[in-house]
Amino acid sequence: MIAGLPIAFASPMILSALILLPAIWWLLRLTPPKPQSELFPPLAILARIIKREETPARSPWWLTLLRLAMAALVIIAMSGPVLNPREARLTGEGPVALIIDNGWASAAQWESRLETARMLIDEAEAANRPVVLVETAGGPGQDTRPVSASQARSLLESLPARPLKPSHQLAAELARVLVRDHNPGSLFFLSDGLLREDTAEFAAAFAGAPGTKTVINADAKDIVALVDVRNDPDALTGTIERVASGVPALVTIEAFDSKGLPLARQPVSFDAGSAQAQFRLEQPVELRNQIARINVVENRNAGSVQLLDDRFRRRLVGLLSGEGADQSQPLLAPLYYISKALSPFSDIRNSTSPNIAEAVPQLLAQDVSAIVLADVGNLPEDAQKALTDWVQKGGTLIRFAGPRLAASGDDPLLPVKLRLGDRNLGGALSWETPKAVAPFERGSPFFGIEAPKEVSVKRQVLALQDGDLDRKTWAVLEDGTPLVTAEKRASGWIVLFHVGSDAEWSNLPISGTFVEMLRRVVSQSQSSGASDGDAPTVTLPPLSILNGSGDLLPPDISVKPLQVGAQLAPVVSVDNPPGLYGTEDGFISLNLFKGGETLNQIDLSLFANGTSVAAYASDNAFNMAPWLLAFAALLMTLDCLAVLWIAGVLRPKLAGATAAAALIAAILLVLPVPQSNAQTAPAAETDFSAALTTRLAFVETGDSEVDRISRAGMVGLTRYLSSRTALEPGEPVGLDLSKDELAFFPVIYWPISMSAPLPDNATMARVDAFMKQGGTVLFDTRDQATGVLGGTSGSPEAQRLRLILSGLDIPPLQPVPPDHVLTKSFYLLSAFPGRYSGGELWVEQQINDSDAGAVRPARAGDGVSAILITSNDLAAAWAIDDAGEAILPVVSQDFMQREMSYRTGVNIMMYAMTGNYKADQVHIPALLERLGQ
Amino acid sequence: MSPPIGSAAPRETGRETLARARARAALIPDLLVEARKVAGNVYAGWHGRRKRGIGEDFWQFRPYVAGENMAAIDWRRSARDDHVYVRDREWQASHMVWLWVDESPSMLFKSQQAKVAKQSRSLVLAFALAELLARSGERLGWLGVSPPIVSRHAAERLGEALLVAPAQSDFPSAHEVRSHCDVILISDFLQQDGDLEARLRQFARQGARGHLVQIADPAEQLFPYSGRVEFMDPETGNKLTAGNARGLKAEYEALFVSHVAKIRTLAAGLGWSHTLHRTDHLASQALASLHVHLTQDRGTR
Repeated sequence: MIAGLPIAFASPMILSALILLPAIWWLLRLTPPKPQSELFPPLAILARIIKREETPARSPWWLTLLRLAMAALVIIAMSGPVLNPREARLTGEGPVALIIDNGWASAAQWESRLETARMLIDEAEAANRPVVLVETAGGPGQDTRPVSASQARSLLESLPARPLKPSHQLAAELARVLVRDHNPGSLFFLSDGLLREDTAEFAAAFAGAPGTKTVINADAKDIVALVDVRNDPDALTGTIERVASGVPALVTIEAFDSKGLPLARQPVSFDAGSAQAQFRLEQPVELRNQIARINVVENRNAGSVQLLDDRFRRRLVGLLSGEGADQSQPLLAPLYYISKALSPFSDIRNSTSPNIAEAVPQLLAQDVSAIVLADVGNLPEDAQKALTDWVQKGGTLIRFAGPRLAASGDDPLLPVKLRLGDRNLGGALSWETPKAVAPFERGSPFFGIEAPKEVSVKRQVLALQDGDLDRKTWAVLEDGTPLVTAEKRASGWIVLFHVGSDAEWSNLPISGTFVEMLRRVVSQSQSSGASDGDAPTVTLPPLSILNGSGDLLPPDISVKPLQVGAQLAPVVSVDNPPGLYGTEDGFISLNLFKGGETLNQIDLSLFANGTSVAAYASDNAFNMAPWLLAFAALLMTLDCLAVLWIAGVLRPKLAGATAAAALIAAILLVLPVPQSNAQTAPAAETDFSAALTTRLAFVETGDSEVDRISRAGMVGLTRYLSSRTALEPGEPVGLDLSKDELAFFPVIYWPISMSAPLPDNATMARVDAFMKQGGTVLFDTRDQATGVLGGTSGSPEAQRLRLILSGLDIPPLQPVPPDHVLTKSFYLLSAFPGRYSGGELWVEQQINDSDAGAVRPARAGDGVSAILITSNDLAAAWAIDDAGEAILPVVSQDFMQREMSYRTGVNIMMYAMTGNYKADQVHIPALLERLGQ
Repeated sequence: MSPPIGSAAPRETGRETLARARARAALIPDLLVEARKVAGNVYAGWHGRRKRGIGEDFWQFRPYVAGENMAAIDWRRSARDDHVYVRDREWQASHMVWLWVDESPSMLFKSQQAKVAKQSRSLVLAFALAELLARSGERLGWLGVSPPIVSRHAAERLGEALLVAPAQSDFPSAHEVRSHCDVILISDFLQQDGDLEARLRQFARQGARGHLVQIADPAEQLFPYSGRVEFMDPETGNKLTAGNARGLKAEYEALFVSHVAKIRTLAAGLGWSHTLHRTDHLASQALASLHVHLTQDRGTR
């Protein structure tokens, strides 16, 4: 340890080598770098100046200095300097007691805690003292007998950071037992830096012990805990706690679904001085319902994780109507719009019975979260009682007005008292016009929804004026009359829409706002837990358990089943650590924090004066040797550059680039190589889009003119197909056969170009595989030579094609016979013209063609010809420019030829897409004939 | 280490005469072709003598003056009216021009910035001039290589003569040169100054008009060296080491300029022209400037 500087050396003797530096200086000065040799004819002119120039026989001073620094650095590095070295702490005699906070807050720095404990055990071993290991989160019944240091070490290595809150009350008891029974000579408390309820008690017990007492304290300022998550109507909200600090902080929360896929991510910031931050995950309710886990990204511990269970899932909503279900006019049925509006975010249960007295118990038995009563006036007494009980236990009753409700008298299951009869706005006998909805006020659950302008209310039921009517009102009309009122009954809600649930009284039910309003109302209802009140105590097996770092793992053998009952709230303990309990089909989550907790830095003044305080040493003990060596390597690189520069190698124009490259190389050499996280390359973007949309594809020959026409042709055919058929292909793609994945394309158009290189064997193997797997390749020799494959007198393109095809497994071919499916697959065609009209279209010969004797109306060959060959230059006929005009003229007198060529393309596409489906068409004459008989 | 900036273009030793002949035979047709190309550019501005005299081309008809040779009368023209005319021809007397190209080792120097070695560029210039002069029927000689010849193909013939002649590494003697001829000397003029002046005065004493073309490599003028450099003279083999070559640049450049100025002064003192040409510039630049000097001389005569 050097005075004033927190640096210690592992082997200080090596530093004496620094004496050699002057010798090195002297040596270095003697060896100048070798000069660059240059021819120079006007030497006589130069000689006049150089005579006066002092040729340096020695290295420049700065180069020598650089090299000396390098040598000094290496010498210092070899002596093993350590910044902030650890100090030996163990003094006294007798057993050494380590009391370790191994709760959730230690998890992030667990390794450093272990390191410190290891060091203490090492020192104890050196002093031959027994060790006691006590964990504050380990639960009661811990063994406080001292064991040998080596035993203690193995105990330490198996000690986990538990996903629990450390109990300092327990720690106090253990400390007292320890002092009473074993009289430890040194006590160490390895704190996680947080204040607990019973820390004062523990501190007293700790400080009261004889021997030396040390608190090793950690800074808790980085610890955050996700203490609470609530599923509010419009967002998932939560609270994050930290130790109050004057520094603002930014953390990120992440939400995952049950399979561990991320669903949302949001930064949350703590203001300076605040210990609490709120977050809102404003996700669609469908997505929110899938969230199974929320955690703070920065802090990997069990306290920053909240597991969500069914309480956050979709609500079960029961529907009941006063009107008989008239299925013949569904749009007029009272429940129609409600069920449409609810179905995106809830599961709907309709009652099977038209009798309300039967239907209500039926729905309640299904544990619905909310029940919608559409225009139900008088409820049977039993049903009313059952509903009242249910609401008081947390059910949400949503009622819609209607003629029956308006006519019914006093109903206890309404949030407000109603006037008898309804109010008619804008009718024949009314001066008033239909009213629009006023903007939703702050405090209403609907606040934030845009008030619908298009909605007008023609009839409504009116609430009797009452002292707390305003408080109960969630939405009002323009004139201030309530539109939606609600009242909380015990833990449940009764919500009344003062309009009907169909479009008769107002057009609210057919507006988008209605969906949003129902969503908020239903989201406010409790989930199925409503009927848990008198559920019997159940025992749930552990499903998966959080470890200290907040990872969800299969439970180990020490985890016991969880007892859950009406009066038995589940408690986190050593036996029941946080996690999921139950089965895959139904489970409850047990979280470390339930809301309301706060975090505070431990108060060291609680410990008495005899206690010394230290920090976790390994937190910042820093071995400087690798960095010094790295710096020396950097200097060496600089030295190389300097030597090169002196030798004149790095000319001015090259100097920048070369130096930069050398520096980068040096830095790469010097820096530790980060672990490669490279993954296998994901499928190409184009592959995704190709897989999603059917596209026309053509082979890029490399001949730009051919490719341009091919692309334009594919665009033309794509437009034609989209306008005439049900097939709407996407943007055409040009394919590089040797690289691109072919499997996504039904047909590949392959124009033969003499300038294109012959595809190699690997490429042809891909094409072969494509054809074997059901793809079709349309070859176009574009030469109008009839009888492409016949004879030896083919055109160059035909010979080229023959050369290409020699690498393929090609069945026998034939010109399209008149009864082939291709002639009928969409249009009825007798020829397949393109830009030219003379050439034949060749297809695979049908295998059963050989038995010529059999009379068959059609060739219902299974599958599609894998190869089509034409010479008519189809793409040139299809090709259109941006304006949709044909690019090339067709070579014919027939003005229909272009249309026919498009039809050819359509037939080929349909043939490739539908296969022999259209072969049936050719049976029609035979079928008709048979019918005639 | 990067390659050095300057290098010596291939140079043959005396023992390998055969290889040398072949190498130069390969070089010269190229140079001739290039010279033709360059000459074609300049020829348009090259006018004839613009005087009557002995020649082949028609110049003018003028009335016959008594006493003249009757054979000179153009009878066809005279038959058109009552006067008798004489057909004058344009004077096409040929002029004597001596060429010489320095081929000393320093001329083989070529730096990275230059396109060709100095010797190569000099030969191109010389052959281009020969091509131009031969077209206007001048008599062309190559000092120490070939006696004067009058031919449309003088350039080729000079080239052939150069094939068999020894390399012209020494400054030529002036004994072949007569008065009223032009001498074109192409060299880098890096010889000892006193020696050069004496030689040039010899030419002047013979009554010749001289044109000095000083060829310089860009590296010689701009001094693009930096760092620690050992310089070697290709002629003498002397070596000099500069500790920081970049620091010498400004001083060297000034010295080189004064060296060029000295040659120029020398030429001006003799009434000769002087052209500085750098091998990274176009050959036609030097050619055009030479052309100006040659025609100016004719104008003053």
